[in-house]
Amino acid sequence: MPEVQLRLVRKVLVANRGEIAVRVIRAARESGLQSVAVFADCDRGARHMRMADEAWPLGGNAPGESYLRIDKIVDAARASGADAVHPGYGFLAENPEFADACESAGLTFIGPSATAIRRMGSKTAAREVAVACGVPVVPGTAAPIPADAPEADVLREADRIGYPLMLKAVAGGGGKGMRVVSRPEDLHGALRAARSEAQTAFGNGAVFVERRLARPRHIEIQLLGDRHGTVVPFVERECSVQRRHQKVLEESPSPSVDPTLRAAIAEAARKVAASVGYSNAGTIEFLLDEDGRFYFLEMNTRLQVEHPITEAVTGVDLVRWQFRLADGERLTLTTADTLVPRGHAIEARIYAEDPDTGFMPSPGRILHLRPPSGPGVRDDGGYDALGEVPIFYDSLVSKLIAWAETREQAVARLRRALAEYEIAGIRTTLPFFQWLLEDRHFLEGHVDTTFLDRTLASRNGQPFAMPTASAEDAAAIVAALQLNGAGPQAPSRPVSAWTRGARLEALR
Amino acid sequence: MRVEIEVGGRVRVVALEHRGKALVVSLDGIERVVEAAALGGHRWSLRFPDSGAQHAVVVTPGQEPGSVDLLVDGLSIPARLRPAGREAAKASGGPRGAGKVIAPMPGKVVKVLVTVGQQVTARQGVAVIEAMKMENELRAGRDGTVRDVLVAEGALVDAGAPLVVIE
Repeated sequence: MPEVQLRLVRKVLVANRGEIAVRVIRAARESGLQSVAVFADCDRGARHMRMADEAWPLGGNAPGESYLRIDKIVDAARASGADAVHPGYGFLAENPEFADACESAGLTFIGPSATAIRRMGSKTAAREVAVACGVPVVPGTAAPIPADAPEADVLREADRIGYPLMLKAVAGGGGKGMRVVSRPEDLHGALRAARSEAQTAFGNGAVFVERRLARPRHIEIQLLGDRHGTVVPFVERECSVQRRHQKVLEESPSPSVDPTLRAAIAEAARKVAASVGYSNAGTIEFLLDEDGRFYFLEMNTRLQVEHPITEAVTGVDLVRWQFRLADGERLTLTTADTLVPRGHAIEARIYAEDPDTGFMPSPGRILHLRPPSGPGVRDDGGYDALGEVPIFYDSLVSKLIAWAETREQAVARLRRALAEYEIAGIRTTLPFFQWLLEDRHFLEGHVDTTFLDRTLASRNGQPFAMPTASAEDAAAIVAALQLNGAGPQAPSRPVSAWTRGARLEALR
Repeated sequence: MRVEIEVGGRVRVVALEHRGKALVVSLDGIERVVEAAALGGHRWSLRFPDSGAQHAVVVTPGQEPGSVDLLVDGLSIPARLRPAGREAAKASGGPRGAGKVIAPMPGKVVKVLVTVGQQVTARQGVAVIEAMKMENELRAGRDGTVRDVLVAEGALVDAGAPLVVIE
């Protein structure tokens, strides 16, 4: 068991941006800790920077010159006098060298040990841990297939495992370096694409082969571990609603998991994490097949995007616990607190993407913003009104979480909150969710990881939300008033003098 | 004042007239009294006193000149002024405009897939733009010959920037 350090965290640097940096800064303030933001050039004045007690520049914009620069972040921590670093998710959160660099600089890394990140971050090594714990895994290759292994070897492995199968990057995540192969003759092209994508995205072209389950559900278990050997599992999250392997909506508990199955999956997850001495927050992902059998998929050695739904149904503040666990505190939570869901929670990920143009990215300035509120609604947003959504990072603008006593009421509450949400200047996935929340299969809880892509493919490009006739009338009238210059101010967009031109047109 | 406005893909004829304190709007020839208040910060409040129906409207400039994006009760509705008569064909680009491949969003040009003089067919990929960690292939709007390539790989472009000209 690792020795307990008596180094209390007082000032934490948040090595991230957007909504997760905001979330961590809030938890820091509630825990009585000082917070330090870091920011790229384009994030000067961004919400996370404005919320922190201090802000230090990283320079640059693209992740490779800013939020992925271990040296700059450690320098900022030194300059600010921070004694701890919270990585958030993405960027450096699962990079063991970053955890090492923090420890060597005398900074407490708010997360698991570098050893645990290394062990569980490799998909093949993590599978071995699961197998050793007696937890079922999806049939697949035991060891990574190096980027330069001959194709004949891969073909032999594939034949042994059986089609359809998945090729996956060993270092992967977020659907990158992942390919479905239905027939042996498709293997050649898929292997080349998966290796090249894995090399570009993760600097590691190694892949492995896994059998593809027909219509699996994606179920995951949140865990907290202390440095004294205790690991506590939480109520499962259902994350099957995915577009191209990216989660878009999550809920807890899963409509397809009963208390018996819950106890079994939770215990499997706990065993795997405990066997590697895991501490702090982490999540184990499982696939659940149509017969209710579950298989270990992978472990995420960090806080997840969708952690708020777990907080909503258990009342536990996961980020504040991360700070306490990093201080060496003992977990005082029991499974009575964490495995019995109180009500139901759903999260919708509001992305800056235009659903009506095939989810094309829509970065730019947010000209108007009014997030919803009211009973049971939580909006974890990363931007202020008039803030700029940059082109350099992922497109998550906000996470909208609705909690209610039952799933049905949570859906109704989320619908209500979506209707209250006003964002102008950029396109977002809000209309997509208004459509999804009316889908019969979703409402009945009949979802699997192929559900959304199948359903979207059958829509033939109809718009996601249809305004009423009265709303269209209102739009025509306000457009006429505005273009006639009747507004208190012409809407200003710095790039063009459109107003003048438009008014001239209108006068003809 | 009478304007033609394309709202959600449909052309609406709107005439506005102030009669004393009341604003009378003729919408496709049907007159209604309307209460409209500009609240500042892009926000409008609109009420139809005959039915009591009210709408929270936010209006912001659109990507093209003469266009606006409206948010009515949270739902996005694009609107565009229709220039009268002959001007219409010119402003909307016509067949000539269709030959330009335009960046639909700000981003980085990661690949140019065609060269000057190359024959292309409609829907053929001509460039790849990356924004927000996603790569998007932009396609030719028509058959033709590439007359001009206006950007280099690695360039940062704004929304609306022309990338490739096809004749």
